[in-house]
Formats: sequence, structure tokens, C-alpha cells
Amino acid sequence: MKKIAAAGLIIAMLGSVLAGCSSGGKSGEDAAKGASPGGAAESATYPLKTDEKLSYWGDITGNLVGVKASHDEIPFFQKWQEKTGVPLEFTAPPAGQSKEAFNVMLASGDLPDMIEYNFIGDFPGGPEKAIKDGYILKLNDLIDKYAPNLKKYLQEHPDIDKMVKTDSGSYYAFPFIRGDEYLRVFQGPVIRKDWLDELGLPVPETIDEWTTTLRAFKEKKGAAAPFSVVSKPRFFNESGNGAFIGAFGVNRGFYQEDGKVKFGPAEPGFKGYLQLFHDWYKEGLIDKNIATADTKAVDSNIASGATGATVGNAGGGIGKWQPLVAANDPKAVLVAAPYPVLNKGDKPKFGQLNQAYASEGTVGVTTGAKDPALAVRMLDYGYSEEGHMFFNFGEEGVSYTMENGYPKFTDLLMKNPDKLAPAQAISLYARSSYNGPFVQDKRYAEQFFALQTQRDAVEIWRNTDAAKYNLPSITPTPEESSEYATIMNDINTLVDEMTIKIILGTEPVDQYESYVAKMKSLGLDRAIEIQTAALQRYNSR
Amino acid sequence: MANRQSFLSRLVRDFVLNKYLYIMMLPVIAYYLVFHYAPMYGALIAFKDYSPMKGIMGSDWVGLKHYQDFFGSYYFWRILKNTILISLYTLVFEFPAPIILALLINEVRKKKFKRVVQTITYMPYFISLVVICGIITDFTNADGVINHLFMFLGYDGQAMLQKPDLFRPIYVLSEIWQRIGWESIIYIAALMSIDLEQYEAARIDGASRLKQMLYITLPGLLPTITIMFILRMGNLLNVGFEKIILLYNPVTYETADVISSFVYRKGLLEFGWSYSSAVGLFNSVINLVLLITANAISRRVSQNSLW
Amino acid sequence: MKTEIGWGDRIFNVINYALMIFLVVVTLYPLLYVLFASFSDSARLLGHKGFLWRPLGFSLEAYKSVLNNPGIGIGFRNTAFILVFGVAVNLLLTSMGAYVLSRKNVMWNKVFMFIIVFTMFFSGGLIPLYLVVKGVGLLDTLWSTIVPFAVSTFNLIIMRTAFMGIPDSLEESAKIDGANHFTILFRIIIPLSMPVIAVMILYYAVDKWNGWFYASVFIKDRDLFPLQLVLREILISNSTDSMSSGASAGDRFQIGETIKYATIMVATVPILCVYPFLQRFFVKGVMVGSLKG
Repeated sequence: MKKIAAAGLIIAMLGSVLAGCSSGGKSGEDAAKGASPGGAAESATYPLKTDEKLSYWGDITGNLVGVKASHDEIPFFQKWQEKTGVPLEFTAPPAGQSKEAFNVMLASGDLPDMIEYNFIGDFPGGPEKAIKDGYILKLNDLIDKYAPNLKKYLQEHPDIDKMVKTDSGSYYAFPFIRGDEYLRVFQGPVIRKDWLDELGLPVPETIDEWTTTLRAFKEKKGAAAPFSVVSKPRFFNESGNGAFIGAFGVNRGFYQEDGKVKFGPAEPGFKGYLQLFHDWYKEGLIDKNIATADTKAVDSNIASGATGATVGNAGGGIGKWQPLVAANDPKAVLVAAPYPVLNKGDKPKFGQLNQAYASEGTVGVTTGAKDPALAVRMLDYGYSEEGHMFFNFGEEGVSYTMENGYPKFTDLLMKNPDKLAPAQAISLYARSSYNGPFVQDKRYAEQFFALQTQRDAVEIWRNTDAAKYNLPSITPTPEESSEYATIMNDINTLVDEMTIKIILGTEPVDQYESYVAKMKSLGLDRAIEIQTAALQRYNSR
Repeated sequence: MANRQSFLSRLVRDFVLNKYLYIMMLPVIAYYLVFHYAPMYGALIAFKDYSPMKGIMGSDWVGLKHYQDFFGSYYFWRILKNTILISLYTLVFEFPAPIILALLINEVRKKKFKRVVQTITYMPYFISLVVICGIITDFTNADGVINHLFMFLGYDGQAMLQKPDLFRPIYVLSEIWQRIGWESIIYIAALMSIDLEQYEAARIDGASRLKQMLYITLPGLLPTITIMFILRMGNLLNVGFEKIILLYNPVTYETADVISSFVYRKGLLEFGWSYSSAVGLFNSVINLVLLITANAISRRVSQNSLW
Repeated sequence: MKTEIGWGDRIFNVINYALMIFLVVVTLYPLLYVLFASFSDSARLLGHKGFLWRPLGFSLEAYKSVLNNPGIGIGFRNTAFILVFGVAVNLLLTSMGAYVLSRKNVMWNKVFMFIIVFTMFFSGGLIPLYLVVKGVGLLDTLWSTIVPFAVSTFNLIIMRTAFMGIPDSLEESAKIDGANHFTILFRIIIPLSMPVIAVMILYYAVDKWNGWFYASVFIKDRDLFPLQLVLREILISNSTDSMSSGASAGDRFQIGETIKYATIMVATVPILCVYPFLQRFFVKGVMVGSLKG
């Protein structure tokens, strides 16, 4: 029985390796033997034998707040200790308070062995500073010696290796990696397919087609707000990812083109974008209350049929709206539309595409760790073949079963007897529904998206050149970071104001040039300089 | 010399005379020293680049850098002006509202009705800001209730929160709506200690209800009103960011963006412990000066003062 | 005794009542809105616009979800403890401080007053306070939400103002009878100031009831979490906003919207009941009675 399971596991892993990486199929064999490619590293056989108890500080995922009160009650964390052989003592900050709790923990000087935290987003000065200030360990040597699985993964994926290091080449945490592009694209334009069919229109691809479509929605379907998007805290939040605005060759933030860093709102294409939305607003094709449209307002517009097109996520968008809108209009179907372009056949320049390395859910080892080597060996488990299955799908026979080499979530998760949502139930037994120190598996999402339209959406939205133009996650140096923040705070305020004022017609489109001049006077060139330097540092990692 | 001796002897005499009072005060002062003054060194981070690992004392000094950033910001004057204006409007229109309510409730003769009014008007204070602002946004929408009313009266409907001119009125009116009942409680309590005989006398003289209200009740409330006013002055630069960010949007920045919301946005970009504490210190100094001024004026004019 | 009611008074009355009724209608609405929304069907509530005059559909799911949370019972118990002991400590210290500060002829009062008011403007921030709380050994106890907040300066000033309004003659006569300051405070001043004491109880109780932030910093043990901290976690984990990020969203949004309102109801209704109860202390002419007696 065990052998069959093990064989199934290897087959499954081969599958995922083929899907996920380019370097070929012999990796499965290697890991099965327990040998590591570096040679120097210890072979890791789990469970490890130790009498030590390590302490672990981290959030309980929002999915489980209110379901389980502590890590100890969550089956995943119980099993994790069993499988690695390392007993853990958990501390969790109150939900939504992790930054304060973290700060206080540092100040009080009582450091646990391991900390699960977002060192890039939520640590002032970033990971480099966290190491420099003597707070977490530089892990390079430790990973070399004690983390063969992670090391192998990073060697096979040099692009990801680059992301998880700092500019000076230090490893600082066990990363959360989205193992497939499929897991990194989840957002784009969404439109009422049933309306399109009724009006005999195709799914719009170009800006002109969009104008025609929205006009038809307004005139023939009586939509009061044909196009509406979440505009809190700024107009069209998601334009940051390049929807619509990307048709004009720019986005809402920094991007790279021809080896140069550019700031979208200061590039000429931005004016075209303003002009378009100004015209749409004037014609009544956009929500009249656009400046105050928050999530709830947009949900409400879509549900009531006032809005026929928006930009949203596959899970939190289509997955949320489809049942809502169907409740009012049984024929209603929401589908994904491609990122709009100016000329038919063009490939969209921008689109939502997350980095493979997500900085949340990463685990660092602190300078206060009693036995750093043990902590590292324990954390490496998540990147092993066995750990990969465990982190993504939980325990075979309990939370998933192998069907033709495909790990299928059981009804315990997908139709939970305690009426927990799949996201919650999965979080009880695995971590694929949020994050953690492991490589996320595509097969989780394939099962998680219940609707065919959701699965199709990801395929439609991923067809962009975003990977080429988006900046990787670069960081200013600690010295520059405060200067950068000061400049960008003023510039962002200016851009947000200009955008909505011009669109609502409070100011004419011609004012655009004078705003660009203001951006320059606020230090835009200096900000671009800082970003360019950061990009260079990144590229030479 | 003689003067100092007399001061010293007065001091000693005072201690002997009031020793029980000082004993009584001891725990209170001890509380303030331990829980307020002992931690106060933390304010130093306004002049440092705070790093949690190095601690407050160990972080690097940066002098007035954060102040230069703040005062040098392109938006400094705008946010200062907006903060002061919103605060002043609130002071002028919202501050008197609970006083008027207390006076009017005092004139209600039916006890039950009185209690019902008190209990209901104080409720909105307890509803979280997110919900209150959600209701405000709904009502002021282009197709919201208030616009329906205006359209009925023959005006054009418009999304009111997209009009910079309307932001402050909406802010202040909703402030009254949410706080009037809650803030009136203290005045209603103060009314209880007004001598009833004064009313008797006034009634015998044939004074109307309105006159009694203006010449007996209002003066009776004056000490409380004065103190509340002085405390308000000491809060002039504190316009909380929560309600502002729930109601504003970039179109209304020009009238709505205040110091706290500006700092909040900056905090989203980077950890601004030091910066926000520098801005906080600036606010505090101005507020303290205002409070001291208000207190001094009040002491001259009305004998009611904090010290 | 009957007095002639003049025309002016009658008009005044009519206007007054009309104003009151208007105010009641206007201020009652938000509470009704929350009440109706909490019983509504989440999907219909999301699709709804404008006034809410009754629950849309009827569903108890949101309440079930809130009240089934394992932390709720513990939260209520902890909050009750904080409320009872916290308000007691608050009242004791505040009334003593207010009494001393309301006395004339105490040389140090001006200094005390400035020391106290100064703290309304300058503070050291969270970390140093945390270290002090840790230093005095209160960390991870319910007392950490009580002792460091034993006096609210604002309330102290209000109470002092009220005490200053009490005629000196009362105190003088008590002194002649040989009463000391403790007796005067607890036997004369406080009984005469019941309306303001009631307000203080209300202010402090509301403060304790709503407080969650410091508990979240000073208390790690989940068995000591106050109610509001538990409710806040429920609210955060169910907010539709936080669920729309990333590829992960379940069907929890089905109640996500209504759960917000159910949480507010659970969080506010108990404390709303305090005020009507305290209102019976709002009695006119207490002072007069005791003066004559």
C-alpha cells in the first residue's frame, strides 16, 4: 500500500516538475534517493531526530480566523511537526495586528527561532536592513549545508533565485513561490456574455469595440453604469495592472522599456487614456459615482445589472459576482475579456501578472535561534517532494486522494461537512490556499476555481507582454528609501488628483502637460534615477 | 530674602494643612509619572531614523530631517489650511449643537419622551465609522436619497462627494448627526445642578420659557461649556484620518486632504514611525499653544480655567 | 400649582417637539440600517441601493457565524472583568484626583494640573509604554488594560469642573463637624455629583468596552482576549475586501457583508443599554435638597 502511494507520489511529482520547470525529469529520481545535487549538503531524511523544541512566530491565515483559535488546533501544523520531527511552539499575533505585534516583539528583544513575515513589504528598510541590524540570519551558508531541497529548486530556477536574494546576494528567508504562471495571473476585464450574445456583439478586443459595446449596454440594455470599477482609494485602482491604460502603451506606475525605467503618468500615452475615459464619462458610459465607487458599490452595480463590464479577479471577482448576478437574472453569465488594445491583433503590453516570488508567507531564522541548522533543515521540508505534496494538498487519504496521478481534494475540503468554504477547509490541512515556505502547485488552483469561466479567464488574461515590461520587485537602498517615499507620496497624490479631475471634466484634458511639468518639479527624475539604480542592482544579482 | 522665606514657610504650611489632599493625590501623580512621563523619551524618534532593532535610544539621529520633509512638501500649506478649516467649521457648527440639544431637551416636560430622545440621539455615536460613512456615501450618490430630494425641489442631481465645495459641509453635518446626542450628555448632567429656585423666581416674574433658558439655564452651563471649549481648542489640529479617508477621493483632495490623511498615505509607502511622530509632535506643540492661549483668555474673561 | 402658559411658550413647545422628533428620526436611522442589514440575505443586501426599511429576506446565518465563534464566550467574560474592575479603578482615582484639583488654596494644584494636561499632548508612543508595562509585570494579564489607563485626563477635567460647582458652604460645615477629606469626598461631594458620576461611568465603560488596541499589544494569551478583539478578528477575516485579493476567495462572501452588521450589533447593543440605566441618576435639584437638609 505504502509502495503504491510512494509510486503515485513520484509520478505526480514528475508531472509537476514537467509542468513547472525546464531542466528536465531526472530531478524526481534524485530527490527520491534523498541525495542532493550540491554534494556538500546533508541528506535530509524526515522526520528529523531531535529533542529540541523550536519557537515559531506567525499569523494565522485569515481563512481560519474564527475557525481555529491557535496553530496548535490546526491539523496542518500538528502534522507538520510530526512529519519533520521537530516540535514547535507557536505564537500568533491578533488578526490584522501583525505589524504592531512584530514591532513590539523586536523592541522587547525576545526573539523566537523562526519568524513568518513579509520582510520586503512590511519591514522598514527591507530584508537587507533586517540582516544588517542583526535581527535575522543571512542564510547562504546554512542553505548550502542544510537545505538541499530549496537549494536545488533555486539552482534549477535562476530567475526565481534572483528574486529571493537581496541586492548583495544574501538569502534571508524560506520563500513562498508561485510555481506556475497559472497561479500568478488572476485579474482582468470581465463582461456580461449574455448581453453580448443578445446584442450580437463579439467579446470586445480593441478600445473602439469597447466603446461600441458600452454604448450598446447603455442604450439597449439600459445599464445606468455600463462600466464601473473600484475607485477607492484612487480612480480605477486596478489600472495599476494595466487594464485599458495599457492599450496606450503605459501603466499607472513604473515600468521598463528598452532598458529604461519609465513612469506611466508622465509618458504621452497617458493623455490618450485620460481622453478616452473623459469621453466615456461624458457620454455616460462610466458609473456617475465613479470617484466614490468602492468594492461594495461595484458589487451592487454588477449584481443589479446596472454595470455590464468591469475589471476583477477570477476568484474574488467572477467567483463572487456570478452567483449574485444570476440571482437577479438567471441568464446572466460573466466571462473574461482580453486586455484591450488599440489595433486588432496587437498583443496587450500590460496585464496583471504577479511575481513568482511572493514576499508574504516567507520564514526567516532569527539571530536568537538556539539551533539555526535544525530550523533550516526543518524549513527545507516544504521544498522536498513529500513536503510539496503535504503543503499543497495535505495528507493523502484525508484531504486528497490520488486519481490517475492527480491529487484530488476530498469532499472533506470541497464540500465541507461543517459548511466551511473550500478556501477555509483547504487551509486546515494544507497551505496552498494562502502562502508559506513552499512552492505552490498549479493543481490546487485548477480545483479551486469551480467555474469553467474562471479557469478560462486565467488563460485569456495571461496573454500579455507584462513579463517583459513589468519591473521585478526592486528595492531602493535603505538610504534612498525615505527620499523616494517622500517624492512619490507627493507625485502619487498629484497623479491621482489629475486623473480623476480630467476624467470628470473638472479640468480640461489640455491641462495634462502642465501636470507633467509639476511632476518633474516634484522630483520625478530623481525617483526614476533611484528606480533605475535599483533595477541595475537587481539585474546584476 | 524675606520673600523666599515666606514662600518656603508658605510651602511648609501648605503641606501641613493639606497633607491628606497630597496623600490623596499621590496615586494619581504616580500614575502619570509611571505611565505617561516614564515612556516620554519615545518622542525622541521624531528626530531619529527609528529602527526597531536598534531601539529608541540606539537609532541614528537625523535632526530635523523629518520636519524638512514635512514642511517642504508641495502640499504642506494645503493640508494645513484644510485641517484648520475643517476644524474651525466643526468648532463653529458642531460644538454648539449638543449644547442647544441639551437646552431643548431640558424644556421637554414629558419625562418618557425626554428619555427616548436622549437614548436614541446618542446611538449613532456607537455605529462604526465605516458603516456611517457607507451610509453617507449611499445617500449623497448621484441617485441617492438626498439628490432625490433636491431633484424633487427642482435642482440637478449630482454625485455630491465628487464636488470639492461640498466636502466640508458633508463632513460637518455628518459630524453633528453622529455626535450630537452623545456630546449632549455631559451638558444634560451639568443641568442637574442648577438651582431650581432660580426658575421659581423667574416664573413668578413672568419670564417666558425662552428667557428662562437664555438667562438661567445657559449661564448655569457656562463653566462646562468653557472647559469643553478650551479642550477643543487643544485639539484644533487633530482631524482624524479615518473619516476623511473614508469620505474623500482625489477629486476632493483640494478641500479634504488633511495632515493626518496625508501622513497616512505616506505611511502606506514606507514605515513612517519617525515621520509620523515628527508630525505628531508638530501638531502637539501647536495644540498646546492654542490650549494655553484659550485657557489664559478664559481665565481673564470668565474665571473658568484649567489652571 | 398652575401657571398660565403664554402663546410664546406654546409656540416654543411645538417647535421644540417637532425638532426633537426630527432628530430622533434622523439619528435612529443608522441603527435601524445596521439592524435590518444584519438580518438580511447577504446577496440581496449587496444588490440593494438606497433606503433600507426592512430586512431583505431573513437570515440568521451571520449571527450564527459570529456567536458560534469559540472566542465569544471567553471574550464576554474578559470584557466583563475589565469593565467592572477597570471602571472601579477609574472612578476611584479620577474622583480623588478631581477632588484635590478642585480645592482652592492648594499650592501645588497649578503644577499638578499642568503636569496632567501636558500628557494630553505629548506621549512616548507605543514601544516605551510596552516596556513600562512589561517592567511592572502586567504583560499578558487583564490588568494591562486597566492600570496603564487608570485615569483619563479628559474625564478628570470634567469631573473637576463639576466638583468646583459645589458650594463651599457644604464642605465648611462638614469640616466643622470634624470630617476629613476622605469623608467629605465620599460622603458629601460624590453623592451630590451623581449626574456627573453617571456620565463618568458611561464614558469609562464605553472606553473599556470598545478598547481592543492595547489588549492586542499587551496580551498574547488568547484566553485573555477581550470581546472587541475577538469581534475584530471575525470582522477582518470576513471582510469582502480582503477576500478579493489574489486567487483565493471562497463562498464566505455569502455572509461576508451581513456579518459586518451582525458583529456591530453584538458589539454595541450591550453597551447601548448602559445609558438608559444611568439616566435615573439624572435628577434635578440634588444640591438644593441637601442644602436644606
